[in-house]
Amino acid sequence: MLASRIRGGVHPAYRKELASGQPIETAPTPERVDIPLAQHLGVPAAAKVARGDEVAPGDLIGEATKLICANVHSPVAGKIRAVVQKPLPGGRLCDFVEIQVDRDATDAHVWERRAVDLDQIDQKWIASTLRDAGVVGMGGATFPTDVKFSPPPNASLDTLILNGAECEPYLSCDHRMMVEHAEELLHGMLLTDAAFDFSRVVVAIEKNKPDAIDAFNAAIDKLGLRNAGRTPVEVIGLDVRYPQGAEKVLIKVVTGRTVPAGKLPFEVGVVVSNGQTLFALYEAAYFGKPLVDRVVTISGEGIASPKNIRAPIGTPVADLVELCGGVDPATTKVIAGGPMTGTALPSLDYVVTKGLSGLLFLTQSEYPDESPCIRCGSCVEVCPMGLMPLKLAAYAKAGKFELAKATNLADCFECGSCAWACPANIQIVSWIKYAKNYIRVKGL
Amino acid sequence: MSTNEGFVLQSAPHAHGRASIPFIMHAVNLSLIPAIVISILYFGWHILGLYVLGVASCVLTEAVTKVVRKKDWRTVFDGSAIVTGLLLVMILPPSITPIMVILGSVVSIFIGKEVFGGLGQNVFNPALVGRAFLSAAYPVALTTWTEPNRVFAFLPDAASSATPLAGARFEGQAESMLRMFFGQTSGSIGATSVLFIMIGGLVLTFMGIVKWRMLVSFFGTIVVTTGIFWLIDPTIYQDPLYHLLAGGVAFAGFYMMSDMVTTPYTNRGIVIFGVGAGIITVVIRLFGGFPEGVMFAILLMNSVTPIINRYVNNRVFGAEART
Repeated sequence: MLASRIRGGVHPAYRKELASGQPIETAPTPERVDIPLAQHLGVPAAAKVARGDEVAPGDLIGEATKLICANVHSPVAGKIRAVVQKPLPGGRLCDFVEIQVDRDATDAHVWERRAVDLDQIDQKWIASTLRDAGVVGMGGATFPTDVKFSPPPNASLDTLILNGAECEPYLSCDHRMMVEHAEELLHGMLLTDAAFDFSRVVVAIEKNKPDAIDAFNAAIDKLGLRNAGRTPVEVIGLDVRYPQGAEKVLIKVVTGRTVPAGKLPFEVGVVVSNGQTLFALYEAAYFGKPLVDRVVTISGEGIASPKNIRAPIGTPVADLVELCGGVDPATTKVIAGGPMTGTALPSLDYVVTKGLSGLLFLTQSEYPDESPCIRCGSCVEVCPMGLMPLKLAAYAKAGKFELAKATNLADCFECGSCAWACPANIQIVSWIKYAKNYIRVKGL
Repeated sequence: MSTNEGFVLQSAPHAHGRASIPFIMHAVNLSLIPAIVISILYFGWHILGLYVLGVASCVLTEAVTKVVRKKDWRTVFDGSAIVTGLLLVMILPPSITPIMVILGSVVSIFIGKEVFGGLGQNVFNPALVGRAFLSAAYPVALTTWTEPNRVFAFLPDAASSATPLAGARFEGQAESMLRMFFGQTSGSIGATSVLFIMIGGLVLTFMGIVKWRMLVSFFGTIVVTTGIFWLIDPTIYQDPLYHLLAGGVAFAGFYMMSDMVTTPYTNRGIVIFGVGAGIITVVIRLFGGFPEGVMFAILLMNSVTPIINRYVNNRVFGAEART
């Protein structure tokens, strides 16, 4: 089936070329890691260690206590220095486990490959493997992946989509993973297919990453997945448009199905997974390795040499900056994530987390001041959800939160297209977030 | 906004497109150049003076109002007051006096825009408010038309010294389509030449500043409704093409109905506006006391735009399946 065009959307300056040609480098083991226990959507994990405890690579340090929660493991061998509260990007406080790393013991650790019998895999096995390994959506949403792969009894999943859109500007970590690890990602997909027996398995990649498309086609041929075996794997090239990688948008484009407003993708039988998430499943299944590291794109005009780096969770941002040759003094903004949805950081005093796709050092001038809305309708035109962003912003400004709620505020997934396109520079997404938070806190 | 270690803390998105209000406004201003140049050739150099006067009065009125209201007067640089000044002069008769231009400009900006709170807040198209005021204050001057200089020698001779619409309606003398297309007819300063309006207007349409749905729905409605009457009795009613070329329809479609502030923002709302304005224009032209009705049509539709915007929303993704 051919992919259709997304509704609305924009074409930001992609700037992918800064880092997309840089092969993934592995960061040296850091001297110290600070691991937050809230790296996922939902409630924070509960600390399982205390000051003075010794840990080995893969040891559980934070335990999932609720359904929407995820385990946290130590990527290193070392000694717990402390469990302290510190701010996450965006300002929310959470417990951090500080570990003094034993570099030799960490570097000596080897994740042993083990055999997996695809015929013995069932849905429970997939869910428990993901849950034990603390796997969350690594595209940035950090939703616990085991929950995604646990449809309610009355639902069934028939389509798996590997989300290779990577539509956020600058980011190229998924791109590099697809180019360098297409085979492993396919193994991750095969694991889930073995359990769910999908009728469609799709790798969806934006056409600005032709080498990733080629890599998948080559890997599919090599593994003999074109026609033989279980479900054939399709590779689909998508026209480049932001926010194509948004889950509901991608499902619509690839399958033609519309996820009902306020519902999850399993309602239409689809599960969408980021490449690195499937890689984490692959490692968890074949190596018993929990999610303890990830690839981060360090890019932007303000970093000396942009790179894609595989770094342990908890690695200080400053370590990565040093690996990339330092920050240009002209840098005005540091962004965790992509420029359209990422979080601005006040300093470098943060760490790599499971959902950190990029660290961007931008030299742009400040966001321009707001002018009055001229009702041009640009925001309406670009909204992939068919919302009326100008109304939401106006209601939020006027404090009319009930009205904002009645105008489908909750359906906004904050892609930023409206604010990007606004000629009056109105920070529509900020106003929408403000209204959402107000409603959440006040319980409206 | 706070900074620490020099890094700016702002909410996403951290990227912004090239669109800006001054860009839109100055694109409109620049797109008017062909129509402005031809209007000067048709009616003489004093027309250039009227443009300067209109723009200066509008800009000054906005600046003074802002200063009095203790607001930032530098909004005059957003280009919107210049648009209003140019558009107002273009829809006035060539024999208009400088004092009327000044009065019309002051009313356009002060009553038409600033009273509502400035750019983005006004209900009615400011230039049309100024035009409507002058129509009421100087009814004779606003219906006194002068013949243009002969600019294009290949065009046939004028059928009448009246405007094409008045000539056809009250004197039974239809104007040549070719003359109307080039604008070599009596009429408003800058609104007669369909060709030169289209040059700029189509550029704006290509840029998305003029919405093609507005053009199709407005022009389409005029063609269909006038076509029905023409088919019923071609001896009384002019054909649809005549109605498209005559009067201010082309200018209004490209430049009055593209005012974002006073027209709807959803695609369906835009179509409702275009169809409504088309019907009202035709009704006034065929049955009203004036030969031309496009100004009132737009002002009337301006007044219902807030209601259209309130009730005509887009279909929300996945909403039909919401439980």
